[in-house]
Amino acid sequence: MISAISTNLPVFIIIAPLFVAFVLPTLAKRKRLVENLVLSVEVLMLLGICYLASIVLFRKDIPIIYQMGGWPAPWGIELKVGSLGTFFLLTIAIVSLPVALFARGNLTHEVGGKERIARFYVLYLLLVGALAGMALTNDLFNVYVLVEVATLSCCGLVSARNHPRAAKATFTYLILATLGSCLVMGGIGFIYIITGHLNMEFASRELSIIWQNNPRVVWMAFSFMLVGFGVKSALFPLHVWLPDAHSVAPSPASAILSGLAVKGYIICLLKVLYNVFGQTLMQAYSVHKILVLVGMVAIIAGSISALTQKELKRRLAFSTVAQVGYIFLGFGLLNTRGLAGALFYLASHAVIKSTLFLSAAAMQTATGKKEIKDLSGIGRKMPITAAAFTVSSLGLTGIPLFSGFVGKWNLLQGSMESGSILPISVIIAGSVLCGAYLFPVIRIAYFETAPEKDWKDPNLPQKLALILLSAVIVVLGVVPGPFLELANRAAAELLVLR
Amino acid sequence: MLSLVIALFSGAVGGLVVAMIPETKNRLRNYIVLLFAASSAFFTWHTALKVFAGERVRVAGELGGLAFSIDPDPLGAVFGLIASTLWLFTAVYSFGYMAGKHKQRTFFTFFLMSLTMTLGVAFSGNLVALYLFYELLTFATYPLVIHERSAEAMKAGTKYILYSLSGAGAILIAIIFTYAWSGKLDFSSGPMLANSLGPGLNWLLMLFIGGFGVKAAIMPLHRWLPAAMAAPTPVSALLHAVAVVYSGVYGILRTVYSVFGHELIGQLEIRYILPWTAAITIVAGIVIAARQDVLKRRLAYQTVSHLSYILLGAFTLNAWGLAGAIFHMISYSTLKITLFFCAGIISEQTGVIKVSKIGGIGRLLPKTMAAFSIATMGMIGMLPLNTFWGKYYLMKGSVEAGKWPLAVVLIISGILNAICFVPAIVNAFNRVSTKTCEEKGSRVSLMLAPTLALVMIALFIGLMPGIIWPGVEAVVNWFY
Repeated sequence: MISAISTNLPVFIIIAPLFVAFVLPTLAKRKRLVENLVLSVEVLMLLGICYLASIVLFRKDIPIIYQMGGWPAPWGIELKVGSLGTFFLLTIAIVSLPVALFARGNLTHEVGGKERIARFYVLYLLLVGALAGMALTNDLFNVYVLVEVATLSCCGLVSARNHPRAAKATFTYLILATLGSCLVMGGIGFIYIITGHLNMEFASRELSIIWQNNPRVVWMAFSFMLVGFGVKSALFPLHVWLPDAHSVAPSPASAILSGLAVKGYIICLLKVLYNVFGQTLMQAYSVHKILVLVGMVAIIAGSISALTQKELKRRLAFSTVAQVGYIFLGFGLLNTRGLAGALFYLASHAVIKSTLFLSAAAMQTATGKKEIKDLSGIGRKMPITAAAFTVSSLGLTGIPLFSGFVGKWNLLQGSMESGSILPISVIIAGSVLCGAYLFPVIRIAYFETAPEKDWKDPNLPQKLALILLSAVIVVLGVVPGPFLELANRAAAELLVLR
Repeated sequence: MLSLVIALFSGAVGGLVVAMIPETKNRLRNYIVLLFAASSAFFTWHTALKVFAGERVRVAGELGGLAFSIDPDPLGAVFGLIASTLWLFTAVYSFGYMAGKHKQRTFFTFFLMSLTMTLGVAFSGNLVALYLFYELLTFATYPLVIHERSAEAMKAGTKYILYSLSGAGAILIAIIFTYAWSGKLDFSSGPMLANSLGPGLNWLLMLFIGGFGVKAAIMPLHRWLPAAMAAPTPVSALLHAVAVVYSGVYGILRTVYSVFGHELIGQLEIRYILPWTAAITIVAGIVIAARQDVLKRRLAYQTVSHLSYILLGAFTLNAWGLAGAIFHMISYSTLKITLFFCAGIISEQTGVIKVSKIGGIGRLLPKTMAAFSIATMGMIGMLPLNTFWGKYYLMKGSVEAGKWPLAVVLIISGILNAICFVPAIVNAFNRVSTKTCEEKGSRVSLMLAPTLALVMIALFIGLMPGIIWPGVEAVVNWFY
């Protein structure tokens, strides 16, 4: 029994949340049970993922290939448990568990009655399952299916709050995301037409032989993939849906959307770029230069748009656009340092942005105010929330001791290795701009006098979630050890010339 | 090693303890602040004396996957001594100055926190540690800058943060390049870039100096400093005349001597420009100072000018210049703090903040004005004061480097300093003021005692410069 579980662990990690998601509606009346079930699935996932990570870190025979139903590739579907997969799985588990904890204390206020809460959790678990699938899958068509599952559950999550603005934001998101899915589908189609394979390994092998016969098709596939995943991961200027969607969603949803969902698509794009097309093709088509360029534009443009926002949640949403730029920039550097930096930054941003959104939501709930200027003096009245916000702001700005710095340091080293000075200056300028849009919030929170109102820290589960996430930010910043090691290995594996 | 850790973290721990004490318990808070400041000063002396004796005191570890070490060498020890000792004096002064003012808990919390950050800068053993503490120092001192919470103070705070973050950004880029070219980050193993030569080095040095120059207030990067005078006087005195600005100066000294090495810079084209940027700041700073009417702003521009004395010494690239720089670093800090302390007493007791209104103050506050006059003599560089010796060695260094015009600049700057302050002092003693006030009471004595003590120390060092010579010598021998 034990051995059956441990050999089938990869698939259990994906199936467990999906399965529980389908059971939840039948238990909708029993709110406590639903919440406990969700939390226990999250905890089990975390344990399973830690076990996988320990195997990946300490055993030599990786990646572990899991064949679904025992069918070998290219006929069957494969799950690949490599460094990249485990790295992203760990990120998912570390972020989604505290967010679920936060949701437990918060949803009645933001979403409504029992039925609606159960529906929220269904979507939440579907999203988590889909993301876990994205981390492990080694099959192009699976990527498409998972992307669709994730997209639809994201749309559901955005509209979970009963509000006209939510409906409008969801509609915009749905249209654009569907467009993105279509493009991704098209890209997969092009690859399938010329290679005849959907398994990434086989497609890649075939592609490296025949790409010169069909240069235009490959170019189309590249561009469809880039734009398709670019829309979904809010790459500037394809980000137009994001600020509305992320700022009107209920707070746990906006945390997971900004923190994880966007990252899932980025991981998919990364797999397609490096595992299917491969480094040689990227260089042949100068895709890496495009990535660096769009990354730099996103950093600057996103940061400047964030500066102009007056609503806290919108400012955070625009900041996501900027931070995604760092990740794309790192993907284009084509060296281990830069890629590892981008991956670490991805994980670090997932944790930091969730913390920011959750603490912003807690402030918003307590005060009923959306704008930054109305938060004066909140640092004294809600010490834990404001402290979490401060820690994550420092992390996002890239101050040493916090996780963002480790990512940025590696990104800078990577840019240095690639020999161009422009990315370095953009990364630094982005950090300064990030300070410029986050510190006013901290200043207002701590150094302005509070109105005579009864603002309090949120209830226990929410506080616990904030503390957990802040602790992760500091721990990753001080002792990134195994996490950075996984990122390094993943980067090295992705960059192996095939 | 233990003493190093205690010296470093007394401030941070003290800050946390102070944050727990309720706003109303002023007496208790003051004792605790004094305790932690004293423990930090004591253990800094303990460590520094060991370092001067040639012993290596080191704590190393890893932070975020990067090597991180706290490893004071004589230069760091000198800076640490200056900071922690003056912190103690300023703490006593603050008890008097802050009495009855708002938000004392916040003030003293960050006052102590900044001590740790400054000592961290001083004791850092590699660029990572230096960068970390340099960055944290900005955040720890921000609440002190905006302590008054007025619109002016808030604006000054924003300016301070933006200038400092941009500077730190430049430094981070420079560190990345240094690491990529040399593979080293440690200060202890001689100049990092010693064996590399290339056209990029000029730019790298400019990047470092531009980054640290923000806090060292090299013109035109000095704009935040006069604005930051919106802070309470003890902060202006300690942080904006000594600790924060010295961390920038210290960074430049480190760049010159530990990152590049004076031999390497001696081969770069930029060596022709560097001393003159310092010289321009020296003259321009004091000229602008003469045009300021608000006393604290005048002092701030004088700070801008005098910080470049130290840089000038470093940029002459010879042993006498370095000795002069270190000497000036020590002696200038004691006197500048005195000047600010006096300005604080004057504004607290009489409400006068402008130089034009200072007439007659000398009769009302004789001890304060006496201290002010002596300190001004020091700023000019007159003999019984310690700054004379610093200036002497600086000139000697300039001449040795074959740049006698720099020595002339120093002399002119002395005259300008006199023009800037002497008429005001004469006024203060000659005229009769319409105001009435007394130089009595426990609050004034708390402010006056450290002021007078510092003047005594300055005079003492001026008469017997030999007592700080071993420290200066240790620094010079370390690098030459």
